[in-house]
Amino acid sequence: MTLDFTLNGQPVSLEGVPAAESLLDLLRHRLDLKGTKEGCGVGECGACSVLLDGKVVDSCLTPAWKAAGREVTTIEGLARDGQLHPLQESFLSAGAVQCGFCTPGMILSAQSLLSDNPDPSDEEIKIALAGNVCRCTGYHDIVLAVRRGARALRGEAPEADES
Amino acid sequence: MILGTSPLRSGSRERVLGDTRFGADQGQAGDLYLACVRIHKAPARIDGIDPAPALALPGVVRVFTAADIPGVNRLGIIPVSKDQEFLAEELVRCPGQAVALVAAETPEAARAGARAVVVKLTGAPGVYDMAEALAEGAPLVHPGREQGNLLDLRVIKNGDVEAAFKASAVVVEADYTTSMIEHSALETEGGRAWWEDGKLHVTACTQNPHYDRDDLVRFLGLKPEDLVVIQAETGGGFGGKLDVSVQPYLALAAWHLKRPTRLVYTREESFLSTGKRHPFRMHYVTGADEQGRLTAVKAELLADTGAFASYGLAVCMRAAVHAAGPYYVPNVDVTSRMAYTNNVWTGAMRGFGVPQVALAHEGQMDALADALGLDRLEIRRVNALRPGQATITGQVLKGGVGLTQCLDKVEPIYRTWQAKAKGDDRFAEGVGLGVMYYGIGNTGVSNPSTAQLEWTTDGRVVLFTGVADIGQGSDTVLRQLAATRLGVRLEQIDLVRGDTSRTTNAGATSASRQTYISGNAVMAAAENLEALVLGEARKMLGARHQELVLEDGMVRVKGDPESALGVTEVVRHLTQRGQAARGEGGFDPHTVPLKPDTGQGKPYAAYAWAAQCAFVEVDRDSGMVRVKEIAAAHDVGRAIHPKAVLGQICGGVMMGLGLGLMEEFHPGKTSNFEDYHIPTSADAPRITPLIVEEPEATGPYGAKGVGEPALIPTAPALAAAVGQALGQPMRHLPLSLERVMETLAGAGAKDQPC
Ligand code: FES
Ligand code: FES
Repeated sequence: MTLDFTLNGQPVSLEGVPAAESLLDLLRHRLDLKGTKEGCGVGECGACSVLLDGKVVDSCLTPAWKAAGREVTTIEGLARDGQLHPLQESFLSAGAVQCGFCTPGMILSAQSLLSDNPDPSDEEIKIALAGNVCRCTGYHDIVLAVRRGARALRGEAPEADES
Repeated sequence: MILGTSPLRSGSRERVLGDTRFGADQGQAGDLYLACVRIHKAPARIDGIDPAPALALPGVVRVFTAADIPGVNRLGIIPVSKDQEFLAEELVRCPGQAVALVAAETPEAARAGARAVVVKLTGAPGVYDMAEALAEGAPLVHPGREQGNLLDLRVIKNGDVEAAFKASAVVVEADYTTSMIEHSALETEGGRAWWEDGKLHVTACTQNPHYDRDDLVRFLGLKPEDLVVIQAETGGGFGGKLDVSVQPYLALAAWHLKRPTRLVYTREESFLSTGKRHPFRMHYVTGADEQGRLTAVKAELLADTGAFASYGLAVCMRAAVHAAGPYYVPNVDVTSRMAYTNNVWTGAMRGFGVPQVALAHEGQMDALADALGLDRLEIRRVNALRPGQATITGQVLKGGVGLTQCLDKVEPIYRTWQAKAKGDDRFAEGVGLGVMYYGIGNTGVSNPSTAQLEWTTDGRVVLFTGVADIGQGSDTVLRQLAATRLGVRLEQIDLVRGDTSRTTNAGATSASRQTYISGNAVMAAAENLEALVLGEARKMLGARHQELVLEDGMVRVKGDPESALGVTEVVRHLTQRGQAARGEGGFDPHTVPLKPDTGQGKPYAAYAWAAQCAFVEVDRDSGMVRVKEIAAAHDVGRAIHPKAVLGQICGGVMMGLGLGLMEEFHPGKTSNFEDYHIPTSADAPRITPLIVEEPEATGPYGAKGVGEPALIPTAPALAAAVGQALGQPMRHLPLSLERVMETLAGAGAKDQPC
């Protein structure tokens, strides 16, 4: 079976992908894109989050064939021409990156949220990111980063008082 | 200004781009894949291991057993208690222990091979309860061991507790328990081994590359110079990556097969085979006078180390030292015991036994306050240790004691919440306090760190450090210290970190010690580098008697603005003479070992202090506890990188929330995040982190540590808040739905015998 899809804006065509292979294994092992992480393998941690047609999925639970004909975005595809995505910027400036293992999934999940809801409240951010576990930050700075990134994506100036 | 500002953390740009290669991301085409054969029922005697069915499978290259280990098959982080067989020899002591290791060309073949190895076992009687393990006639976890199942017994004794109880206005007595906890660092253990330049190289996520090197050298019977360990970028640790995990397997297979090897634990394997937080059972008797001043504390602590010692000795001792909390207590009698059982082993986890005892000492303070009709915050203020007072180990504190300041910071918040807390038929709100102190560094033993700084001829400074940054930010903090001390820009400092062939031992990233101890080592290296540069400049300038200073990359002569030299010029001068512009430094905090019979001594050179308060709402219908807010004030001495400090506090609070409300690892049952829930963003309250800076005279620019303190007061504060909401003390963690419902039903959690 040939598997054709778009990966981070580029067409990809792969032969001989077993039906049972997960999108996570395809990305990490077949395509050597190590930015997508595995934290549990059972859909409980969100470290493996990627965007499928702009919507976040757990790639560990998503069979690779589901990508056929669709657009897959991984963390490697967010920055364009060396220019960080606003959420990548805001995660940096908010100090939302500690060990950074949750960060790729967290940023993609946040991007999925913001494409549905460009101006979420803190509560909405917390609910939307509940599938993405972070053991380091206590989520405080992650929520701040998402709020900041949302403003930037809406083209608004940064908040004066952020905490 | 570099200190006290929060520059972008080293490595964070690569992290948001997804470019960082963690331990789990290592590997190249042609690597061999490894899989462990693990036994799920223990104890069991090994009657035989037959690798033939595995070797018959395509792609399987070799099966190793304990007989293939060329060196000493006893690992464990404390030198005097190494007892873990990385491949079991005769006896499988706990579920999850490995008995064989399969190397194969593909991950699938490795896994298939591991399933195909035939292991013949005979079940043996085991013991799974820590109290039963210490009873007469209990099956021995390590047969033939002189002290039986007692790993360690520590006491702290001072004064006469019984006489003091008699003279007290009030005496309260209660039992407390905490659960077994899994670190759940988001990255599971992973790494790679390979040969290069005739040396075996191992890279893996770790909190302590130099310790890993020493253990691997023993395991393989090599010379230290034949083996290089490089810390891979590490996706969190929290104590779980102090003991070796995948490293011995990677090294063993690569050593035999002379090929690169790779191994990453699944979450299930990580849960099954790595250390956990010790569950504790605690019995406390505490007395006070009418003003609420503590008269005496008697504490009996019992903890389960599982099948192996790991960091058990350290946890047993640290729990004892901190058992009475951050208070002045004239009479104490603490007994801390740790028992071997056939459960999964427990080891270091953020706080080393102090989060456990904090539940008890704080529960006792509330009980005393209530019995005396005193305010719960005031009773803590009355008893808070102050400079000039002695801890229960007889250590008179000189300075760097910021508990009262922490209480001052949280008090207005605490009072506001108290006034706000309400209840109706269904929802009840409550507010609780937790305070703590925490000794920085290892307990009463030497625990040095070393560092080097080298000025290059192109004007850069290279910092060489063995400190493992596991996400807490030491890479940045140590660079900030070096830059400040040398008067250069932060961007000028390059870092070589965690590579045993290029850096020297900095000790473990544990015990909240790296900012304080390794920070001091970096300061000493900077001082020596400065002296070297100034000495050379003096020769070059012929300025024999004048005072030279180093600033902004220049050596200047005081009082003579005309004479100045660029540091680079001085460095060139040195290198032309064949000498590197390199300064070495070390630091070992001054401690005095504790006397075995009384526990008196000076266990730590510095202490961190904290006070937290929690505001919760309990749903009486469901038993659900919703944490509305937590405020956390921490005395860190000096916040070198305030954003990193705040990040540690918020992360610690959430881990404390997990310990307090939801986390409970059941050996033999818990397998993955499906049945082990850690806090998600939906559980996250509003957190108000507050920094207190009471300078520590011996710390780098006054700094001490915050990593573990951040978590310690949270669970006690939550227990107190839930207890207030329910109108009865909560002394057994976690405060799960079931436990809250039991309490509401009046059953209460049964106190367990100690
Ligand atoms: S790895 Fe996919 S959700 Fe955890
Ligand atoms: S930063 Fe470590 S898991 Fe989120």
